[in-house]
Amino acid sequence: MSKQINVALIGNPNTGKTSVFNALTGLNQKVGNYPGITVEKKEGICKLPRGVKAHIIDLPGTYSLNASSLDENVVIELLLNKTDKDYPDLAIVVSDVENLKRNLLLFTQIKDLQIPTILVINMSDRMAYKGISLDIDHLEQELKTKIALISTRKNKGIQELKELITHYKELSTEPCLEASSIDKAYFDNLRKAFPNQLLYKLWLVITQDVNFGKTDRKTFEAVEDFKTKSNADLKRLQQKETIKRYQFINETLKVGQTIDLKAAKDLRIKLDRILTHKVWGYLIFGLILLLIFQAIYDWSSIPMDFIDSSFASLSEWTKNTLPEGAFTNLLAEGIISGLGGIVIFIPQIAFLFLFISILEESGYMSRVVFLMDRIMRRFGLSGKSVVPLISGTACAIPAIMATRNIESWKERLITILVTPFTTCAARLPVYLIIIALVIPEGRIFGLSYQALTLMLLYLIGFGTAVGSAWILNKVLKIKSKSFFVVEMPNYKLPLLKNVALTVLEKTKAFVFGAGKIILAISIVLWFLASYGPGDNFNNAESIITAQYASENLSEDELNQKIESHKLEHSFIGIAGHAIEPAIRPLGYDWKIGIAIVSSFAAREVFVGTLATIYSVGSDEEETIKNRMAGEVNPILGGPLFNFASGISLLLFYAFAMQCMSTLAIVKKETNSWKWPLYQLVIMSAFAYIVALVAYQILI
Amino acid sequence: MNTIIQNILVFTSVGLAVFFLAKKYFLPAKKKSTKACGGDDGCGCH
Repeated sequence: MSKQINVALIGNPNTGKTSVFNALTGLNQKVGNYPGITVEKKEGICKLPRGVKAHIIDLPGTYSLNASSLDENVVIELLLNKTDKDYPDLAIVVSDVENLKRNLLLFTQIKDLQIPTILVINMSDRMAYKGISLDIDHLEQELKTKIALISTRKNKGIQELKELITHYKELSTEPCLEASSIDKAYFDNLRKAFPNQLLYKLWLVITQDVNFGKTDRKTFEAVEDFKTKSNADLKRLQQKETIKRYQFINETLKVGQTIDLKAAKDLRIKLDRILTHKVWGYLIFGLILLLIFQAIYDWSSIPMDFIDSSFASLSEWTKNTLPEGAFTNLLAEGIISGLGGIVIFIPQIAFLFLFISILEESGYMSRVVFLMDRIMRRFGLSGKSVVPLISGTACAIPAIMATRNIESWKERLITILVTPFTTCAARLPVYLIIIALVIPEGRIFGLSYQALTLMLLYLIGFGTAVGSAWILNKVLKIKSKSFFVVEMPNYKLPLLKNVALTVLEKTKAFVFGAGKIILAISIVLWFLASYGPGDNFNNAESIITAQYASENLSEDELNQKIESHKLEHSFIGIAGHAIEPAIRPLGYDWKIGIAIVSSFAAREVFVGTLATIYSVGSDEEETIKNRMAGEVNPILGGPLFNFASGISLLLFYAFAMQCMSTLAIVKKETNSWKWPLYQLVIMSAFAYIVALVAYQILI
Repeated sequence: MNTIIQNILVFTSVGLAVFFLAKKYFLPAKKKSTKACGGDDGCGCH
């Protein structure tokens, strides 16, 4: 039987922790959530020599064990709770060769918890470039651990790291700093009151503002023999601890690390000067965005057309091959059409995440955060609000979770409230299909009108988020202080493996997360569109045959009339007609109305719903786009999806709060239904009014 | 016979789809209990 050990991967942000995780686990990884909270939990399996397996958890990046956010609490909670099933047998602290001093603070804290700890010094390939040399033997001796000098970029040192993991039992658990040296008298009392416990763990529990289950600060206050200190005194002791740790680190690095500044070649300053310039910086960012949107359109059109026609053929093949009947129709018209409506967007979603991942990996995204802080401040947002707003282009849910590192509650609340305006990936399928239908294919300066429209929609989303933040800043009467600190990582060539894994993981999450919902909704919609109450539905054939008896209709024409009549009197037709008066002024028919209602579950359901509704009763092999293009406005005649109704729909989706999961996460983050309900009502009303005005002007 | 089987499959699929959606959006999610640090066995950190 093979043995499995728990390994916690810990480190400061931007140390390449995820690269180490990817290098160790490859594709044997999964992403989930920590129980009870929505902090992302990445875990994977690493096969080690002699049949040993390591269960590796990639913990959220943290600068120290003095938690200031929920993400950081996750790290501390795991390290303090021996009963947790993931409690590590071994901790691997990942550091970056250029920021070793700062990274060692966290290392010394974890080491003092007496967990076997390996220090990984990553990015060793940059040592010569930066004029850095290390005395590993000295560092190992002083830090009382084993060190793996690695480069995930050059794939160096990974095998050595695996060897060290295998022999983790040989690692010393001797602390770097004696906890009692922080304040001898206080720690002596602590030791007397809790004789069997590790002093440094007790100290962490006392000094954190988080509850570790039942053992929080009050537990200590309740013990008669032990008098804890006031918050201010504890803060002073924490500072003293940090100073002592840095004294130890400085002494260690004095011999262990040499930096020859003359040998260092640094392009970073020159690049920063351009990329964060108050004119060139914005211009370059704008050009990069243009490139991204152009690529999303141009590069993905071939695979998209292929997927679209493949699903149409598959649907046709299913109908012709399987025995006739209701289930065959469900497969061909409901399930395959509905799934086609999501699979078709895989190429574009993948390209979007490819670019986002490259921007993040290269270190450019932090420059964008810095650049945008100048603008954000004017609108009552923090520079840190840029991260949620940018990651909102993927999905509002992680973006809202990413607001947890904004210290000011007012800024955090405003960011949570405005982030859903950012164009998320779920809006992309809606935008893409509508743009393809209503925006002409011409080009200006080599850029297609369609790509420019898409970019404009992203800018509208971002602009509305920022504009509404400004209003909320004026309206909300919450007092709070704010400050902005952002780390500028070095520029790096993105690692192909990391980029590929991110694209794979995000695309998979999008397809499988949305796919299950879309599949279920497609089945329900098909049922509602294929069955109905009363004689009008059940006797559709005889009603239509009698109605058109005098006209000489072909069999095909008559069948089409019957199917159309059945759809109108099906369950979904009845529901659609009921809501039609409310959406007619926006230029939509009842079918679009149904798609809007069902897409409240998730925006991307819109296209799948229309694909299902339009394919019910259709015998022809048609792509989704062609089916939508062929729809006729029942009142005005002409295409249903024309410029006016198309723009109206685009604007509706740009502003409407069409996502139940986002509402749920806002409730969770604000701990109240008040804010998500405000969001829902205000955003929906605003979307309706803008879509109405746009349609009425353009018609 | 074929019609009956096809109808059974349709209604089963619809039932499963409705159950899935209800579970996802309307039924409260089961909260996994986190093992508290603390309790009778102390904080588990010794």
